[in-house]
Amino acid sequence: MNGPVIRIAAEEWRSLARNRAGLIATLLLVALIVVSAVVSFERRAGIEAERARYQASADTGFDNQPARHPHRMVHYGQFVFRPLSPLAFVDFGVDSFTGNTIFLEGHRQNSANFAEARQSSLLLRFGQLTPAFVLQTLAPLLLIFLAFTSVAREREAGTLRLMLAQGVSGSQLLAGKLLGHGGIALAIGTPAFLLFAWLAARAVAPTDAVALLGIGYAAWLLLWAMLAVLISALVTRSRDALVALVAIWMVGVILLPRVLPEVAATRTVLPSKIETDIALHRDLKQIGDAHNPDDPYFAHFKARALARYGVSRVEDMPVQYAGLVGMEGERLTTGLYARSAKAMAAREAEQNGFVRAFGTISPLIAVRQLSMALTGTGLAAHQDFLNQSEAFRYRFVQALNWMQAEKIPSVNAGEDPRVSADNWKTIPRFRYRPFVPPSALIWPNLLVLGGWLAGLLLLSLPIARRLGRAAR
Amino acid sequence: MSLLHAELRLILRSRLAAASLALLMALSALSVVSGLSAVSRQEATIARATAEQARDLAAVAKAYGKPDGEAGYAAYYSFLLTHDRPSPLAFLALGQRDVQPTVLRVRALSLQQQLYESETLNAEQALPGVFDFAFVAIYLAPLVVIALTHDLVTSEREAGRLRLLLSMPGTGLWRRRIGLRYLLVALSLLIPAGVALVATSAPAHLGLGILTVPAVYLAFWFGLSLLVASRVRASATAAAASVGYWIALTLLIPTLANAAITRAVPVSKGIDLTLAQREIVHHGWDIPKAATFDRFLATHPEWRGHETFEGRFHWKWLFAMHQVGDEAVAPQVAAYRASLLSRERWTARLGWLLPNVAAQGILHRLADTNLVAQLDYQDSIGAFHKELRAFFYPYLFFDRPFTRADFDWLPSYSARTGTASWPAIPMLMLLVVTGLILAAGAAQMRRTGRDASR
Repeated sequence: MNGPVIRIAAEEWRSLARNRAGLIATLLLVALIVVSAVVSFERRAGIEAERARYQASADTGFDNQPARHPHRMVHYGQFVFRPLSPLAFVDFGVDSFTGNTIFLEGHRQNSANFAEARQSSLLLRFGQLTPAFVLQTLAPLLLIFLAFTSVAREREAGTLRLMLAQGVSGSQLLAGKLLGHGGIALAIGTPAFLLFAWLAARAVAPTDAVALLGIGYAAWLLLWAMLAVLISALVTRSRDALVALVAIWMVGVILLPRVLPEVAATRTVLPSKIETDIALHRDLKQIGDAHNPDDPYFAHFKARALARYGVSRVEDMPVQYAGLVGMEGERLTTGLYARSAKAMAAREAEQNGFVRAFGTISPLIAVRQLSMALTGTGLAAHQDFLNQSEAFRYRFVQALNWMQAEKIPSVNAGEDPRVSADNWKTIPRFRYRPFVPPSALIWPNLLVLGGWLAGLLLLSLPIARRLGRAAR
Repeated sequence: MSLLHAELRLILRSRLAAASLALLMALSALSVVSGLSAVSRQEATIARATAEQARDLAAVAKAYGKPDGEAGYAAYYSFLLTHDRPSPLAFLALGQRDVQPTVLRVRALSLQQQLYESETLNAEQALPGVFDFAFVAIYLAPLVVIALTHDLVTSEREAGRLRLLLSMPGTGLWRRRIGLRYLLVALSLLIPAGVALVATSAPAHLGLGILTVPAVYLAFWFGLSLLVASRVRASATAAAASVGYWIALTLLIPTLANAAITRAVPVSKGIDLTLAQREIVHHGWDIPKAATFDRFLATHPEWRGHETFEGRFHWKWLFAMHQVGDEAVAPQVAAYRASLLSRERWTARLGWLLPNVAAQGILHRLADTNLVAQLDYQDSIGAFHKELRAFFYPYLFFDRPFTRADFDWLPSYSARTGTASWPAIPMLMLLVVTGLILAAGAAQMRRTGRDASR
């Protein structure tokens, strides 16, 4: 780095410090990052504590049920609450739009209910006050306002010619401006980066996730500083630079993310829950009817069960046959549910893939994906929760079915057979495994952000040459 | 007239002005198309679900509609469809319709277990919010206002013409300039929506409202922009300050307010009610059947004397138990709804101060797409569910057979009439705030005029 570049950069910093409005706006934004972090940190802790409390009380409720037939417990079911990831306060992601509690019971797949978005007034749709909102939406605007005059002002005031005449080259000038505003961009992000570092140090979150989050947001902020400086260098009047930059922000940050989902929804239709449920019900009926003695599927199942225990009548089995049928039924229905859930996830993935493909044009989509993936608040994390809870549902329902087969006598069970209440404590309880984002959700997005930075750097070469010619 | 004509030519000669007006009109048209597309998707969902549901019910009727069919089976397996058709204006202000269910089916079992089912929703795509006319009017149109007015005074000053302009005889120059700009922005924004309203033959009084509110809201931005433009000395400062207000009003303050309201009014009461409901229904299996019937007969004395049965199980007991479960959680249901409405009320109060929140709130109310509409739909499902129970009870309590023909008598859901309305107080407050800011802007312009001509 040579002298003039540093001097030009330092001049930008000095001019920011002199520009009262700019300084106040910068301090406000930094304050906003800090405030949003504190507010969201507290909010996350509140939500998390509440969900943990509900989970504990639901679990105790299960343990305290009286003596019953195990199948009744299959339908008493378990409630599962989705824990928030430790980094969720940085970016709440889709959490407000997905339900966060699921009721799990036998041979039914219930939806996740009580999404915040369905219970909120229109204000939620304006956005949520999180560091991610401030960094993704507001920080670019600030960077635009700080940098749109950077080169155009020199041109308008005639100092550009003067500097070039004094032997500063076009590329030195541009490098100085880029360095100056790049520095400002990183300085604006500093409170967020310090927060990330603190989280990593306190082992609240994995170091690599936090580091990548920092890199992603640094690239995002740098990208806007560079864009603003380059546009300022391209146009003749700073006013035009402002108009062009605000238009780019408008389209990239506000407009595209809203327009694309409608296109995606029209391209790939998501069937309603009713259609899915009815289709599932139809498939279920095709498997067979366990209550019908002439049903071919269950006649075959019975023959195999009898052969396994080496007896000729179900009454002679050491276990209750109805319990075995329950287990087989659960196995079959769970397979169907899994197939149906997979089909739905594939449709959503198709919609998301269409929108994400535009991440190259609107890097907001890339940084948003990255942020949600690394903070564990994206759709993938939610789907991971759904998969975990579904796998758990299968385990606890089958444990209860097996309890029925084993503990309820197969003959002369009486009118109202029950098993004792202390059996409920042996049934597995839901343990959430934290979501680990797959690299496919991280690297492509980092690549897009890196690609934008590299592209802008490449673009700066001809722009610098053009600036250099301004002296002639 | 020729003066206006000359002024019009002056505005349209500016590339920035002409381009931003054209852009606004294009975005407004695009948002109308996008809204129509969203609404037609919802209509298609209702049509598909209706067809599927009819097939499903026919299969149930075939399976359980025997000459000696038991009403319990029919009641247990018959789901009935309810739907919430988008209102005629929904396409302009989609409100919460993107996250609310448009169809929901219920059966005669406990309503509270069925009412809160969530619809399949791609959360990642719902996250940024919808692109509809309300969005263009509330968010984007103010930016065009700023682009057209921020340098109204300063550009004349910067060009050295301000003194000359102010010393010219005749008044009304500024009124003409501002009025014309207002008209151009309003027309660019409203024409596409107006055309769509006529084409879809929407109700006139509501359609007029949905055009009036953005028109008033634009006037607010003209007032604010004039206030800023006449106070500062440089065009760039005026633009920056106006955009600053835009960020604060449309992005920052609503976000902060949402954080505050979410904190002040928690709605976990929905979970409370689900958990309580489940305890009551499952507890019902462990207590003597007479205890359940006692509670049921207290509210339904007409079935007294018909509750006894032989054996371990009777359908009438199951349905009575579910009804008792619903009735037992009535306080929790009331608390849940109260907290939802409280959030809505606080938002409306915020609208007294913030024109953007007020305008959006009024648009959603006119289009019947907000939380109130959602609760109204839930109420209509509740009323239908009541009808459904009343339909099955005589069969269950009199042990009447439920035959194939009885399926034809099943009640069918009649859609809610809608709660679209002109909310008076928010509208009045919007007018008051707009009037105040316009007056302040005009006063500041006059003061600037006096200072400059001195």
